[in-house]
Amino acid sequence: MATATYPPPPPFYRLYKDYLQNPKSAPEPPPPIEGTYVCFGVNYTTDDVLPSLEDQGVRQLYPKGPNIDFKKELRSLNRELQLHILELADVLVERPSQYARQVEEISLIFKNLHHLLNSLRPHQARATLIHILELQIQRRKEALEDIKRRREEARRLLKESLGTLDGQ
Amino acid sequence: MLSLHPVFGFSDLSSLRSSKIEFLKVKIRKIWVFLAVFKKMDIISQLQEQVNSIASLTFNTFGTLQRDAPPVRLSPNYPEPPPNPTEDSANFADQPKLMSAALVKAAKQFDALVAALPPSEGGEEAQLRRIAELQAENDAVGQELQKQLEAAEKELKQVQELFSQAADNCLNLKKPD
Repeated sequence: MATATYPPPPPFYRLYKDYLQNPKSAPEPPPPIEGTYVCFGVNYTTDDVLPSLEDQGVRQLYPKGPNIDFKKELRSLNRELQLHILELADVLVERPSQYARQVEEISLIFKNLHHLLNSLRPHQARATLIHILELQIQRRKEALEDIKRRREEARRLLKESLGTLDGQ
Repeated sequence: MLSLHPVFGFSDLSSLRSSKIEFLKVKIRKIWVFLAVFKKMDIISQLQEQVNSIASLTFNTFGTLQRDAPPVRLSPNYPEPPPNPTEDSANFADQPKLMSAALVKAAKQFDALVAALPPSEGGEEAQLRRIAELQAENDAVGQELQKQLEAAEKELKQVQELFSQAADNCLNLKKPD
């Protein structure tokens, strides 16, 4: 284990002496890691998924289900937040010692808001991927058309020049 | 005594200073708007920033009001609290209004951002299906592109061959005089 301050490079560079002449004489790179791994003494996991609210012990205020209408839920959470802020103001005026409950409600709403926004991220990632793929397909088609046109033009020029040479 | 400024038309120093500040504020706001329009964060990050700003406005509002509120009379038994005629009473009456207006504005901004979210077409499976079909189409187009490219390169080689032959023939035909 490399625990020195400036550890030397790993010793298996020697196995790659003849790589340029024969790429198969040296070992293949190791396959990608699956599951958990240790890096600089910290455990990491390869499965990066957003932990659901219940896993963090927070009550979920918006309905669960396969397809959530994000806009509607965000708007209703926003309205709830405003109402709770008003409630907090009222509580501070009338019964100032009982602020804790309202503050907890408000923080619950904030946690829900942030969790909802975070769960939009995978959706955004897939939409970005779709957009990139569409752009790439369009660019490839344009390049294809370009090549076809140039080939046609080259063929035409050659035919013309053949005609002029024959005419001579 | 300052005479009238040729451009802004002031006649005293304090209004000159405050107008300079206003002018600078407008300039900074314009730069900020320029940056915001042409170099936007993506919509989800903007939403997250907006949520955080609503949170900070909330606790600033309550904190400031609690800290600066003038003492109030609790019961007829106790005497009237001593009035504090510092800058509190003058500006303090506006504080709740201003701060709550800022809170409401931030909440409206959040709603506007939510409306600006792109419509979520279908769920996860629909997106994955679309990705699969786009990948298939991409592969097909890529292969055809590869084929055309190879054919074009072959033709280019042929033409170059012929051209060099023709050039050689031309050179051989032309005898030096």
